[in-house]
Amino acid sequence: MFSLESLTTLVQDWLNKTFPPAIALLFEFVIVGVLAIALFAALGLVLVIMERKVAAWIQIRLGPNRVGPKGMFQSAADTVKLIMKEGLTPDGADKFLFNLAPFIVMMVAMLVLAPIGFAKGFHIWDINIGVLYVSAISSVSVIGILMAGWSSNNKYSLLGAMRSGAQMVSYELSVGLSVLSIIVLTGSLNINDIVLSQQNGWWLFKAHIPAVISFVVFIIAVTAETNRAPFDLSEAESELTAGFHTEYSGMKFALFFLAEYINIFIVCAIGATLFLGGWMPFHIGNWEAFNHIMDYIPSFLWFFGKTFFLIFLIMWFRWTFPRLRVDQLLNLEWKYLLPISMVNLIVMTLVAIQGWHF
Amino acid sequence: MSAASIIFYLIATFILGTGVLAVTTRKIFRASIWLLFSLIGIAALYFWMQLEFLAAVQIIVYVGGIVVLIIFSIFLTIKSGDEMPKPIFIRSIFAALAVLFGTGFVVRLISLYTFKPNSTTVFNLNVNQIGTQMLDTKNYGYLLPFELISMLLLAAMIGCIVIAMKSKDKDATTFQNSIQ
Amino acid sequence: MFIVDYFKDVYGAMKSLLVGMNRTGYYFTHHKEIITEEYPDNRDTLKLPERFRGEVVMAHDENNEHACTGCSACELACPNGTIKIINKFDISPEGKKKKAIDTFVYHLELCTMCGLCVDACPTGAINMANTFEHSVFNRGLLTKRLNKPDSKLKAGVE
Repeated sequence: MFSLESLTTLVQDWLNKTFPPAIALLFEFVIVGVLAIALFAALGLVLVIMERKVAAWIQIRLGPNRVGPKGMFQSAADTVKLIMKEGLTPDGADKFLFNLAPFIVMMVAMLVLAPIGFAKGFHIWDINIGVLYVSAISSVSVIGILMAGWSSNNKYSLLGAMRSGAQMVSYELSVGLSVLSIIVLTGSLNINDIVLSQQNGWWLFKAHIPAVISFVVFIIAVTAETNRAPFDLSEAESELTAGFHTEYSGMKFALFFLAEYINIFIVCAIGATLFLGGWMPFHIGNWEAFNHIMDYIPSFLWFFGKTFFLIFLIMWFRWTFPRLRVDQLLNLEWKYLLPISMVNLIVMTLVAIQGWHF
Repeated sequence: MSAASIIFYLIATFILGTGVLAVTTRKIFRASIWLLFSLIGIAALYFWMQLEFLAAVQIIVYVGGIVVLIIFSIFLTIKSGDEMPKPIFIRSIFAALAVLFGTGFVVRLISLYTFKPNSTTVFNLNVNQIGTQMLDTKNYGYLLPFELISMLLLAAMIGCIVIAMKSKDKDATTFQNSIQ
Repeated sequence: MFIVDYFKDVYGAMKSLLVGMNRTGYYFTHHKEIITEEYPDNRDTLKLPERFRGEVVMAHDENNEHACTGCSACELACPNGTIKIINKFDISPEGKKKKAIDTFVYHLELCTMCGLCVDACPTGAINMANTFEHSVFNRGLLTKRLNKPDSKLKAGVE
């Protein structure tokens, strides 16, 4: 079976043989950094064209179809346009914070990438507290948004940032609780352990209804946390022009835009890891023959397949539902999602203690 | 000097530098952002010490919670964008004296303490152990019940304040009505 | 009961979620229903609805005859002065003077395609055509003469 683990050990062995250890380590840093940036660029291009195509097909349109075959190079053309544009800084803005904000948002998105397992034995940092680390770091990105909104010196930006802050802080709770309900089952925060615990079936199927409920809560809350429609109050075009990034243009705007898509990828990767088994192939209990056949599909294909399925799910309901009002948004979180996920967590704990799951 | 100590001094400089900036800047929003960086630096220090759990908790509680709360309260004030006036000269003298005294006190304490490297036990903090300790009923246990009771006490205190406030509130409304 | 309402709400929300996503999912998988017209490419097969109002035209039959009597009802009906009727007096074989149209001036650049002129016409001489590619390089080209040169009034139309 083809595995990326052998590739990484090969590279590491070669580096250690040819260079002294300190320099080899430095080279590894550089390689990982370049790979992460390349992944970001590729993801940005792919997800933007995917979003536009999905939106078009759902709305019975054709979507972009002029640049390249079936319009596949549209996002590359858009990127070139954004690079060419001037990055304006408004006169009344707090210039230092204004220019810092997009980088904070981007850096947070990059940091969260570290513990995600892309394939069997292929991750940047196998950290002991993987899931906790992800939720900790991703809570910093709200600061970047608040910073952008405040420093633009614009009422729309400030309002958008306030809304975004309130929304992200409150929806973080239900994300945390639905993640916890899976942690209760695995007994570990390490992402690798969580994936390995799904050797004989994914948690979504193994833990019955509670897992399904927490999956639904997770998907809804995660959509709200990444500020996407139907929860895109922070950049509601009809009310706030573009919310916290109204004043941004050129590459600085592109960084916000890219960070949004990277965040979607990351939350979907976490969702795929927790509920759909990450890179673990589709296994059913003790059906050895079936499991062996599934193992022939490389693990990174499984991971990206599941992640893109979740991304598609989120896009699907982005283009299905209209935007919520602010009070409806907060009602949904505090009256529905939070109590439901709390009760669900207790039920899940009961399931885990009694061993009712498969 | 090894790479680890170079990184330590870099992080320490970062924490101290942003901390000084936080208290010297005259824009209140910038002060909160410098405070944020200082707290992130402390989290980085925990990561440097390989205490990942503590670092993550530091980020969740201080960066994601308290600084966001501070920023929100700054947003709700009117003059969040203006520069604050320069402090009065006599006040800054007293502030400098307080800083000097504080620094001297801390330096004295540190110089009295003899740091012994204890390489005998490997300090390995596991999340599972923390969880078990929290719900333990033996020695050093009962941590989670203790926290829950403190939450309950906090709720009771807030409730007391709300009840005590009520009559005053009514007075305020009657006062307003009499003005009208 | 509060708790019953609460669960009813949750159930209703989930149901409407699924109904909505079912609909959009149907459209997502059925590309034949796409209604986008790829306009310049499908010029040959383009079909416009019959009642689409592109511009005012005057119908002429094969003998170069039209039905306009020059009554200028359309000129009066037009809300923004698009139509200008210039009349002449034909002398009939009996020697009687008869009013007839000389030039039907139509300013396309002023027209809002409201169709009031067509409604006002007592003889049905003018109607709205389906054409819509009106852009030209010179504004003067938009001022049109609707009756063809040497055209006559159809016999029997009063």
